[in-house]
Amino acid sequence: MRGLVPAHLVQQLAGRPSQVWNTEVTLPSGACVFVQAPSGRGKTTLIHMLYGLRTGYTGSISFGDTKMEQLSDDQLSALRAKELSVIFQDMRLFPSLTAFENIEVKRALTNSVTAEEVQAWLAQLGIADKAQSMAATLSYGEQQRVAIIRALVQPFAWLLMDEPFSHLDAANRQLAIDLIKSVAQRRNAGLFLTDLDANNYFPYTHTFLM
Amino acid sequence: MSTRGSSILNQLLLLHTGRTRLWTALAVLAAGTFLLLLSVLAWSDFDLLIKGGEGSGTESYIVIGKQITERNMGTASTNAFSASEISEVRHAPQVLDAGEITPALFPVYAEVGGQLPLQTELPLASVPDRFLDAVPPDWNWQPGNPNLPVVLAARFLDIYNYVFAPGQGLPQLSRGSVQAIGMRMKVGSDPSVQVFSAHISGFSDRVGSVLVPQSFITYGNSRFAASAGPVRVMQLILRVADPSDPQFVTWLQQHGYTTEPQGLQWSRMRAIVQSVAAATGGLAVLLMVAGALIFMLFIELSVTRSRSSLVLLHQLGYSRRYLVRYMMRRFLPRVAGSLLLALAGTVFVQVVVSSRLAAAQLHLPALPGAVVWAAFVLCSVLVSAAVYRAIVRSVAAAEA
Repeated sequence: MRGLVPAHLVQQLAGRPSQVWNTEVTLPSGACVFVQAPSGRGKTTLIHMLYGLRTGYTGSISFGDTKMEQLSDDQLSALRAKELSVIFQDMRLFPSLTAFENIEVKRALTNSVTAEEVQAWLAQLGIADKAQSMAATLSYGEQQRVAIIRALVQPFAWLLMDEPFSHLDAANRQLAIDLIKSVAQRRNAGLFLTDLDANNYFPYTHTFLM
Repeated sequence: MSTRGSSILNQLLLLHTGRTRLWTALAVLAAGTFLLLLSVLAWSDFDLLIKGGEGSGTESYIVIGKQITERNMGTASTNAFSASEISEVRHAPQVLDAGEITPALFPVYAEVGGQLPLQTELPLASVPDRFLDAVPPDWNWQPGNPNLPVVLAARFLDIYNYVFAPGQGLPQLSRGSVQAIGMRMKVGSDPSVQVFSAHISGFSDRVGSVLVPQSFITYGNSRFAASAGPVRVMQLILRVADPSDPQFVTWLQQHGYTTEPQGLQWSRMRAIVQSVAAATGGLAVLLMVAGALIFMLFIELSVTRSRSSLVLLHQLGYSRRYLVRYMMRRFLPRVAGSLLLALAGTVFVQVVVSSRLAAAQLHLPALPGAVVWAAFVLCSVLVSAAVYRAIVRSVAAAEA
């Protein structure tokens, strides 16, 4: 990340020190990154910029030699399917699909995880019985766990997480953390998490205050 | 993508739109294409019929002359074709060949003896041999030869058989029996008169005169002509590729040339059918465009309804190209089905029409001609391109 300033936060960030905005940050692959900030500092904006959803900013984001701003739609889609995964703060599930179908939509893109593994992960997170429930009928906590599993059913070099456990109790949070850790380890992937408060969910190698 | 994944996409992208809407759009598209193909079929079939209607390919022979009006009557010199006019005729639209009808400038008096006491003056003329319906085997004459072959306009025999003979109590005659009758032909006027033994050796449907070999007319005009002077060509016989071509008919009218109306009747019919086909074609194009538009609107509506799903799928890693291809794979078979239905309807119409017309001795191929297939391919390409564009635009707009 180099000199990033989102256009809609220019006024808000002016004169305020930040370890993320308007500076250069280089992260090694496989790093475990935590970005901490109170509400309104642009955590979600940052995740969306890193994931290529938001384009209104100055500065640049690079993955290795690839500049995010120069990617074609096909390249960006390939990046999202094979290199970069995300757990959205607002989950973003298809309400008209079941929990299992929501995961299947993502899994079908690359087939890098079997349906049996998905079932096992649903069981591991305690929502196996909700697999055939419509997403719209699930509680926030259940939706969040579906969103977490959906983010894990693809190959990825980085997993972006935007307040990923905000709707989970401590026990369920720990189950989710364990699953994420094991899958990320298997894939030698880096983790990039944003949250409101300091935490030790993962063994962070880099910590930033926004 | 697995079948399950594909069915989930189907659920997300295509199940929002009503089936009635989809079938209505497809039905309008099929109806428009069917009408369009039908008007092309009508045009090409009629074209085939008028070309086949002349009997031997498209060619036809017609005789033209200058129109005689109150203003130019009695001025034979201006009513004759000049050399430059004859040259111009040869280059007229559709004209493949032109020959002069050379009239005899001398009196000819024919007598039939035996049971047919006929005596009449005859209007002799000659045409180049290549314009005869069939050249009789004895079709030659040299000065000194007392025997003269004659080709008679077929309508003369008809007038004799159906008008003259019944009124005069004379026997009706077949073509064969007429050819067996000898004639005494007195040529020229006193004191320079020569008598020939003439016989009818053939009939002509093309020329309405009594034809003799050109060598005889040349000889007679130099020997017996009442007045010396050049031979005026009053009529030309034309070999025409397609006498129904409106360009040819217009050309005749512009030059004030007349011909027998039967030769041009196809032209009027052709003009009528062409205008009907053009009007139907215009309507058909409108209907097809309307069908395609309705279908495109249907696609845009489908995409709009599944907008949020499209956006999220794109966010999850489905490229726009993939989504467009996926939707094309879903819509194109339905569009193709509509177009093929229209084609099947057109083929069916051709099969029925060709079998019905066969009973009336009008022969059409059992399947539509190449022009209909070409129109079908063109329609398919245009509609597919329009559908593709609508999908691409809709998918791009969903993200905007």
